Parts: sequence; structure tokens; C-alpha cells
Amino acid sequence: MNNKEIKEFFTAIMQQDSEVSAGIAAICTLLKFLEHDKSETIQELVSKLKTAVEVMRRTDCSVTAVASGSELFLRFITLATLDFSTFSDCKKIMLDRGEIFLKKLQEARGKVGKLASSFIVDGSRVLTHSKSRVVLKAFKEAATANKRFEVFVTKSSPDSSGEEMAKNVRDLGIRCTVILDSAVGYVMEQVDMVMVGAEGVVESGGIINKVGSYTMALCAREMKKPFYVLTESFKFSRLFPLNQRDLPDEFKYRSSTLDKDLRDEHPMVDYTPPAYISLLFTDIGILTPSAVSDELIKLYL
Amino acid sequence: MIENKQFGLEEGVRNFILDVKYERIHNDIVIEAVKLFKDIIVNVEWTTANDLLQIIKIQGKKIAKNMPLNSSVGNIVRRILKIIREEYLSLLKNKQDESQEESLHKIVTSEGQSDDFNKNIPQLKLAIIDHLNEFETELEGIADNIAQQAREHIHSNEIIMTIGNSETVEAFLKKAAKDRKFEVIVAACSPSNQGHDLALNLAKSKIQTTLIPDSAIFGIMSRVNKVIIGTQTVMANGGLRAVCGTHPLALAAKHYSVPVIVLAPLYQLSPQYLCSYDQDSFNSFISPEGVLNYADGDILSKVHVYNPVFDYVPPEFVTLFISNTGGHAPSYVYRLLSELYHADDYEL
Repeated sequence: MNNKEIKEFFTAIMQQDSEVSAGIAAICTLLKFLEHDKSETIQELVSKLKTAVEVMRRTDCSVTAVASGSELFLRFITLATLDFSTFSDCKKIMLDRGEIFLKKLQEARGKVGKLASSFIVDGSRVLTHSKSRVVLKAFKEAATANKRFEVFVTKSSPDSSGEEMAKNVRDLGIRCTVILDSAVGYVMEQVDMVMVGAEGVVESGGIINKVGSYTMALCAREMKKPFYVLTESFKFSRLFPLNQRDLPDEFKYRSSTLDKDLRDEHPMVDYTPPAYISLLFTDIGILTPSAVSDELIKLYL
Repeated sequence: MIENKQFGLEEGVRNFILDVKYERIHNDIVIEAVKLFKDIIVNVEWTTANDLLQIIKIQGKKIAKNMPLNSSVGNIVRRILKIIREEYLSLLKNKQDESQEESLHKIVTSEGQSDDFNKNIPQLKLAIIDHLNEFETELEGIADNIAQQAREHIHSNEIIMTIGNSETVEAFLKKAAKDRKFEVIVAACSPSNQGHDLALNLAKSKIQTTLIPDSAIFGIMSRVNKVIIGTQTVMANGGLRAVCGTHPLALAAKHYSVPVIVLAPLYQLSPQYLCSYDQDSFNSFISPEGVLNYADGDILSKVHVYNPVFDYVPPEFVTLFISNTGGHAPSYVYRLLSELYHADDYEL
């Protein structure tokens, strides 16, 4: 596969199915790449994969998710190579394991939804931000269990993704109100909890998510409302930002805006420090923010 | 023959539930529970680990259901289930300490296809019983283990505040008093006033003790060095279900930045979360006679009287848990949970 094919394959997955997360799409693409690859050594393979990752990162999508997904995939390759001596053995096992790996990742969202839905009880009012597929899944689980609850969702400028979320929530038969981003403080006193998704989870246990999440977390803390994050574990990434400026530019801006004057551009994501997060619901269980670094250390040690 | 034994099993469990209900067990409930389950494992017929897991789960659920607010027996059941799983896997693969919990590492290496526990291993029963005996010894030594750590936490001339009457706290303070001089302030914990008993016992062992009403907690807190309390349950997020009055105590401690140390044996650690501050299913309300005297019968028809037993204390108010295995921060509780119980057993 050459660079153009990689890009086409990747964007095709993203367009075909809006339910697929960018991280999974990246891993799918890399697996496909691995299948067709004719490298003779591990080193060659890894360097080719890295080029492929670079290609995907330059498409206009959530780079945060692509970055953590492909990082996980490279780790997967490294761990697989440790077990076998010859390259052909190794490649066979990689492809075999790749299937299981991908299957596990695809099951993740359902698991998270199930865990989180148990926290929604009759009469709950939940505030959420922007559009998140995994939060929607949790709402769906709760609605199927006949729980009566109400959802507030921010409109989420600049792409108004909250409108789409609201439509999806209403389609489930749940009462849903769209609020302005600036009204987060106003509705906070009415809600019981905040549930947001995440584009990436960093090593400190903080999250990178659609801009406005940090504001919501600050408000929730001030009003003593629990701030829950729903996320799949493949979004954990080895990054340790201390403030907003530490986030790489390519996470904050679309690749098409990167070469413009960034002072005139608005960031797409922000960083919410772990201190503002009550719990993280992931496919590997309900975690406190400090558990994230534990998991990453286990994986990369 | 089997039916007869099954009947014995049902009866044993029923008797245990009744014994707990009518407070006929003078020994520790958790130790009695382990004994009961050991009997079940020895006497009931089972062939595979899966059978056994099912039997224990069903009986455990029955017991846990009958005491919804006492999570420790449920936790013991979860521990036993985990022990069975561990022994099964270690006999099957001859591998020790293989972690069973889900992790990112397992996903990436695509391992950990869960076993169905259906192989018949003859040595399994013996191995489980051995492990359970060990566990029982561990439980018997728990109060001691916690008290042993007292010297590290209580220093000379400190002022310690506590609330209610916890045996663990009592043993802890008495142990520290063997070679340190310090002062204890006990909040009475009305309306039950269990604090009176604790104050009396401490005074008997020559510890300088002051008894205060609950309403004085905030006023006194400014001169306190440490708050040391017991708890009924440690929730999965590191919060507490403790005796009513603990939350205000913790708030006062937070206000004056006084560290709050919670003594909690590991069997009090529950995989339960408090959802949306759902106080009704979480609390228990007992007879209001302590709040309102029977002699004041005239008002009784005009007012509502509540006498809740528990308080929920959020994890941010706890500085440190001291368990039989050492000190743990509240944010570490998730880790203990995954070490002690298997994720499939969180819901019995």
C-alpha cells in the first residue's frame, strides 16, 4: 500500500461508518497495511508503519485518537516480536493476534456503556458536552433499561456537534435540551452529574476533549457535581501535559489550519486536569484518574 | 443422598442468616462466614470449579440479600470466589500470581482468553481448603495487624479525635498508648451515644480522654492533630459508609486541614459505588426513640422523625486508609479492589 492508498482506505472507513472511532479506523488501516506489506525485517516494517501513521495524522480528523490508536498498534507489534525469532512466524502471529485485538477494541464501547448506565438512575438529570458515541451508548443502555432521565447537551461551537447529539438522544426517546455553551454555569445547579466522552486520556488521568470540557469540569467542581468521563481504553496515550499550552498543536488544530497564523485560529480541544475528574468509565473497569498511569506503565514497561 | 446434603447446605445458610439477624454470633461474623463456606466446600458435592463457583455465588447472594447494609459477608464471598479461581488456574497452568483482571496490556497482547473453569481437577478441593485456612488465620489477625501500625501514626502529645465506638480504633489507640502519651477526644455520636463506651474503655486503660457532644466537633477541631475513625464499609471510589455524624466531622477536619485516617480491614472494601447520592438504598433508618422520647407522644403525630444510621463521606475527605496490609490513599482503592476480587463477582 502506498501513501495515497493508506489515506484513501483510512478516510473511506471514517466516511462509511460514522460509528467508528478514529482510533479504531487507524488500527484497522494499519492491520490492512500489515497484511499487504512485503517487508523482510521488523525494522523495515516498523519504519513503514510509522510513515503510514504520519499519513493518517495529516488527514482532517481527530489526531488525538489516531495518535493513541497507532501508538498502541506499534506497541502491539513490539510485544509480538518479543515472542518469536523469525520474521515469518512473527508476522503470522501478528495477523492472528491482530484479529483478536481489533475485536476486543470494538467490544469496548458496549462495555463502557453498560458500566456507566448503572450510574443513571430514575429521575437523573445528566449534562453532557458536544457529541460522544460512547456517552450516547450509555444513554441508550439506560433507556433500554426503562430508566426515566433527562439530558442536557451543549450546542458546542464551532461545529454545533451538540445539535447532532441531541437529535440522536431524542431518537432514543429521552428528553433532551440543547443549551448554549455559555449556559453551562446556568444549568449546572439543575443537573445531578456530568458525563463526557474523551478524544484522548493522558498519563496523568486528565483528558483531551472537545473545547469547552474544561470549563464544564471547572463549573462541576465548583457546584460539587460529579464529573464522569466515558472512554475506551485504547484512547490512553503517553502524554503528560501540564497546561493547555503543552498540548501539541496538531491536536489542537485541524491539519489544514496548521500552516495559518495560529493566533487567529481557535483550538478544537482542551485539556482537563485529573483533579476535576471524579471517575473514568473504561472497558477495563471503573477507574480513578490515578489508575491511568498504572495501566500505561504496565503496558510500556 | 445428594438431596440430603443439599438440604443441609440450605439449612446451614439459613441458620447463619438468622444468627446474624438476632445477633447470636459473638465471634466475628466474617470468620463465621468463612467457616460456613468451608463447610459448604467440603460437604456439598461438586466436580468442577464452575459448579463450586455457582454454588457459592447462589448461597452468597442469598446471604448478602438478607443483610443489604452489611457488605462484609458479601465481600468475603467475593474473596472466596477469587480464591477458587486462583487455585484453579494455578493448578491448571502451574503458574503462580497470574493476574486475572482486565488490563490494557492484556488487550494489546491479545491474551487472557478466559477459562470456563470446567476441567475436573482432583487436587482442587484440598488446595482451596488450604488457602481458606490461610485466609481464616489472616482474618483472625486483622485487628492486631492494624493496631501494630499505631506507632507510625500517633506521636507524643498529639490530640486525636474520633467518633462513635469502633473496636478497631479502640485497639489502635490502646496499642499506641503502650509507649506514647497522647490525648483522645471522643465525639459521643448521638443519639446512640456509643462514644460513651469508647471513652470509658480508653479512660480505663489510662489514656487521657475527653468526651464531647457532636455539636462541639467543629469548635474543638482547631486544636486536633489527627482524626482517626473506623468505618462500616469502604466504597469502591474510596468513599465511606460510616456511622452517622462522620460527614460533619470530616468537613470540620477539612476546614482545619486536619488529616483524617480511616481504619479499615480489607474485608470492608466493597466493589459498590454510590450512584447519584442515592441515600435511600444506601442508608438504614432505625427506631426514632433516641431522637424523640416516647414521653413526648403528643408531638409524635405532628412531626416526622428520622434516625439514620449511616453517613456517606466522599473520598476527598479521607487522607489515608489503614488496612491490615498497610496504608493506602483513597485513589488507590480501585487497585485493591482488582487485587482482591474478580470483576465478574462484583455483582453477586
